[in-house]
Amino acid sequence: MFRFAVLVVLCVSVIALAAPQNSPNSSSFRFMVLGDTGTGGSAQYAVARMIESNWRRTPFPICIMVGDNVYGSEAPKDFVAKFERPYQALINGGVKFYAALGNHDDAALQKGYKPFNMAGERYYSFRPAKGVRFFALDSNYMDKQQRDWLVKQLAESGSDWKILFFHHPIYSSGEKHGSNVELRSVLEPLIVKYGVDVVFTGHEHFYERLKPQKGVQYFIVGSSAKLRQGNIGKTELTAKGFDQDNVFLVAEIVGDEMRFQTITRKGQVVDSGSFRRAEKTRSTSR
Amino acid sequence: MLKISKEILACWIVFLLSFTISAIASDESAVIKDYRERVAKYVDLHKKVKNAVDPVEESASAAVLTKQKQQFVKMLQQERQGAAQGNIFTPGVRPIFVRIIKQHLTHPNGKKARSLILGEGNPGNKPKDGLVLKVNSPYPTTAPNSTVPPSLLLVLPQLPEELEYRFVGRHLILRDREADLIVDFIRNAVP
Repeated sequence: MFRFAVLVVLCVSVIALAAPQNSPNSSSFRFMVLGDTGTGGSAQYAVARMIESNWRRTPFPICIMVGDNVYGSEAPKDFVAKFERPYQALINGGVKFYAALGNHDDAALQKGYKPFNMAGERYYSFRPAKGVRFFALDSNYMDKQQRDWLVKQLAESGSDWKILFFHHPIYSSGEKHGSNVELRSVLEPLIVKYGVDVVFTGHEHFYERLKPQKGVQYFIVGSSAKLRQGNIGKTELTAKGFDQDNVFLVAEIVGDEMRFQTITRKGQVVDSGSFRRAEKTRSTSR
Repeated sequence: MLKISKEILACWIVFLLSFTISAIASDESAVIKDYRERVAKYVDLHKKVKNAVDPVEESASAAVLTKQKQQFVKMLQQERQGAAQGNIFTPGVRPIFVRIIKQHLTHPNGKKARSLILGEGNPGNKPKDGLVLKVNSPYPTTAPNSTVPPSLLLVLPQLPEELEYRFVGRHLILRDREADLIVDFIRNAVP
């Protein structure tokens, strides 16, 4: 009997020790950010494996994709090879993906593709948790209708966290593309006026966290499959840049604070930190 | 006497000028109105064909969506078998578009817009993508989408959700967004 009790205590201890060491705060909301993913190549699969291992330790319910979700051919088999297969464990585990359209995406197909959760629209918003609202934009074609829609949505979003994601970065140190100043001229006034807290984009095949611009946080996560090594130019914009390996970003919102970690396919954390949305001050590390 | 005549002449010139300008503006608005009507007519056809195709708004299967799209494209192409360049971008409206684009891009702030149009994402830069500039022919889904400058979209006549403007090389195309078909085009719209 004593032996049995010892065995039970031992088993419980082992299970407790094996449990996630970094379990999310119960009142927090976690999400993942991926960009420029849809190659179907080995880098995409390697990143996906690292994401899966991260998710098993600290689960997140949603993943946002900042465009170029399926490169090249978009035949049914490509949706399998470039999306369903690499992220199969997450999809089966109930993680919901939300896609924005990139310049390589077939809008007609992707907006109706249920796993992308676009609700049949090229731009849309959703509220996955109380106090957190996401807005997915189609930055390929920012016409008046979309702009008007965004104004209305932002105006109605009240005190929620306002998180925008779309493909083309309006601030970037990329030598290949750089900042999309045209798009910025249309979007930034709204971003500032309606108090958007953070903006995630891709297009540039590297990772860059920008210094806050007019009080807004900007991230480029465009190397979750493709990579343009050494493409981050020297500018005054960069708070942290990484263009040596493929990455994804995990974020967690706890009250007025957002914490983030940017992780390579090999598991190396290349950037992390946090910022508060109220006063928009930041305290970052690394 | 001479002074009065000069004044009358000046008034007459001003009158003639304003009359001419208003006549041109009125002509132009009539042409734009006609363009909008042609666009609306196309959209009616688009909707009619769409309703005739198996209605699948969302699916977990890309195969189902692809099949539906192919069916839609085929039917739309059949319905527009006789369509030709100029059906929507009529000879009358073309110079208006060319002028709007030229004014916008030659403005001091238009440099960025111009480089966006003719930049990396323009499928005209990569002929291997197989884009044929022909009415009713597909805009290949493997070709990237050129970015259309938002500032230009604000000054071009607005389009319904079913259609969009794109650039291929220097040519402006009117694309059916859901069918990925070239509905009409204007050659060398970008100066």
